Amino acid sequence: MAGVELKADVTGSVWKILATAGQQLAPGDTVMILESMKMEIPVIAEDGGTVAEIRVTEGSPVTEGQVVAVVTG
Amino acid sequence: MSAERPGMAADLRAKIDADYNARRAKALAMGGPAKLERRKAEGVLNARERIDYLCDHGSFIESGLFSTSMVPEASDRSPCDGKIAGFGRIDGRDAAVVANDFTVMGASSGATNGRKIAHMKRVATQRGMPLVFLGESSGARMPDHMGSRGMGALLGNDGAQYQRLREIPWASATLGFSYGSSSWYSVMADFHVMRKGAVLAVSSSLLASLAIREEVDPQALGGWKLHAEVTGFADRVVDTDEEALDAIKRFLDYLPSHHNMAPPVRPVPPGSGDGMADILDHLPSSRTQVYDVRKVIDALVDRDSFFELKPRFGRVAVTGLSRLGGNTVGIVANNPLVKGGALDVDACEKITSFIVLCDSFNIPLVFLVDTPGFVIGTEAERRRAPGKIMNFMNALALTTMPKLSVVLRKSYGQAYLNMGGGRNSDEMAAWPTAEISFMDPQFAVKVVHGLDPDAEGYAARFGEMSRASEVWDIASIYAVQSVVRPQDTRDYLLRMLDVHQLRLTHGVGQHMMRAWPTSY
Repeated sequence: MAGVELKADVTGSVWKILATAGQQLAPGDTVMILESMKMEIPVIAEDGGTVAEIRVTEGSPVTEGQVVAVVTG
Repeated sequence: MSAERPGMAADLRAKIDADYNARRAKALAMGGPAKLERRKAEGVLNARERIDYLCDHGSFIESGLFSTSMVPEASDRSPCDGKIAGFGRIDGRDAAVVANDFTVMGASSGATNGRKIAHMKRVATQRGMPLVFLGESSGARMPDHMGSRGMGALLGNDGAQYQRLREIPWASATLGFSYGSSSWYSVMADFHVMRKGAVLAVSSSLLASLAIREEVDPQALGGWKLHAEVTGFADRVVDTDEEALDAIKRFLDYLPSHHNMAPPVRPVPPGSGDGMADILDHLPSSRTQVYDVRKVIDALVDRDSFFELKPRFGRVAVTGLSRLGGNTVGIVANNPLVKGGALDVDACEKITSFIVLCDSFNIPLVFLVDTPGFVIGTEAERRRAPGKIMNFMNALALTTMPKLSVVLRKSYGQAYLNMGGGRNSDEMAAWPTAEISFMDPQFAVKVVHGLDPDAEGYAARFGEMSRASEVWDIASIYAVQSVVRPQDTRDYLLRMLDVHQLRLTHGVGQHMMRAWPTSY
C-alpha cells in the first residue's frame, strides 16, 4: 500500500522525534514535535499505520510542506 | 332531470384540465425516466427531490413550471429550461430557491432560465428572504451563446447579475459538475457546501484539457479537497445530497431573513454550560504546548450549537456560527493545535470573510485569543501577508456589531490588535493565564538583551519579561477591562452580550462591508 506522507505544517525545526521506523501507530499518534514560534507543534499520523521512514533528524530545520515522515497503512 | 351547470361547458372544462395536466406532467418529468433512473442508481437526488428535501412539506410554490428554452427547436425537450425555481419555507421561513436540473440540457444557462434566476433574486432581495442555489450545471448553453448575435442577445443584459450587496443571505450547494454561472453563484454565496464527488470550476476538465493541451483530472481541477483546503471556497464538505441540504438549513437557522432584522433566537438546550467547571481540562500546563480550541468553544457555547465554517482551510484559526443564551454569535478563535495558532494568510482571509458575514447579518462577534503572532518569513510575504493582515484590521474596524475579545493565553504583537486587543473590540477580557506583549519573552530577551537561552543571565531576564507579560499590568491600566476566571467565561459572555446589544437599532448594524468582495 502506498505510504502517506506526513508534512511539516509550519516552518521551524525538529525538536523531538518520538517514533522510529517500523513502529506501529494508532490513529492520532504523534510522530515528532516541531518547534516554531516558540511553540511545540506535533506532527500527527491521523490515520495511524506503520512508520516506513523518518526523513529528518532532531535539530534539523524544516519548511512548511516538507515531508518529514512516511507512514504506510 | 339533472340541473344544467351554469357557465362553461363540461367538455371544455375537461379539455382545459387535461391539457394543463399533460403539460404539467411533461414539466415534472424533467429529463426523462432514463436519466432520472441513472441518478437514482448513483444515489444522487434529482432537482425536484432536492427541493422537496430542502423545503417544508407542501410549502414550495413553483415559478416557471411551464418555462422552456427560448430556442424553438429546443422548447419541446427543455422542461423548466433546466433550472427549477420557486419559493418555499425552510423550517418555517420563506426562501427563494433555484435548483439546477442536470437531466435537462445539463442545466446549462439559457435565456429563459436566466430570467428565472433574475426573478428569484429580485423577489428575494426586495421582499427580504434568503436565496438558495442548488448548483449542478454544464455552464453556458451551446449553441445558444455562440456567435456575436448569441453573445449580444443572451449574456450581459443584466448589469446587476453578479452584484452582491448582502441584503439577504445566499446559500449554495455544489452537488455535481458545476461550471460557469453555477460556480459564480456558489463563490458569491455567504455559505457554500460541496458534496464529495462534485466539481466546481470555471469550465469543464474537457475544455480545460483542450485549452492547455493536457489531461486535466476533474477532481484536481475543482474537487472538494481543492476547495476545502486550498481555495477555501467550500465552507463545508459532505458525503450526500441530503447532508448538503441539511447543512444549508442549519446555516440559515443562525441568520435573519434579511439584513434589516436581528437573527432568530432559539431556546437554550439543557446542559449548556455544564462543561464550564472543567474547561481547564482542555488546556496543557506548559505554555509551549498545544491544544484544540474547539473543545473550549464547545464548552462555552450553547450545547451542540457550534457550526464551524471552512474547517479545513486556514486551520490555525477557527470560525463558526454558534449560540450563546439562544442568540446567534460568530466565534473567531486561534487554534494552537495547528502551527501553534500562529496566524497565516489563509487564516486572515477566512477570518476577514467571516467578520463580513457576521457584520452583514447583525451577528455579534466573540474572539478567543491564543496566538504567538503572525507567521512571518518569505512565504508569508510572497503571499501578501501585510495586505491580508490589514484587510483583517479594516474589517474589524468597519464592523458595527458588538465585538467581545477574551485572551485565553498568548496575545502578541500585531496579532493582539487583530484579535480585538485594545479598542479593536468593545470589551476586552483575559483569563489569569493570559500573557500579552509585543513578542514572546524568549524572542524578546534575545532582541533586547542579546542573550541566548544558554547564556548567563538569560533566566533572570526571561523571568522579568514573563512577569511583565502577565495580565495584571494591562488590567491595572484598564486596557483589559475584565480578568475573568476560565470557569466564569460563559456567564461573562452572556452578560456582556446583553450589555452590548444594539438597543438603538433593534440589533441591526450599519453594514459598511456589504459590498466587500466575496473572495479576493
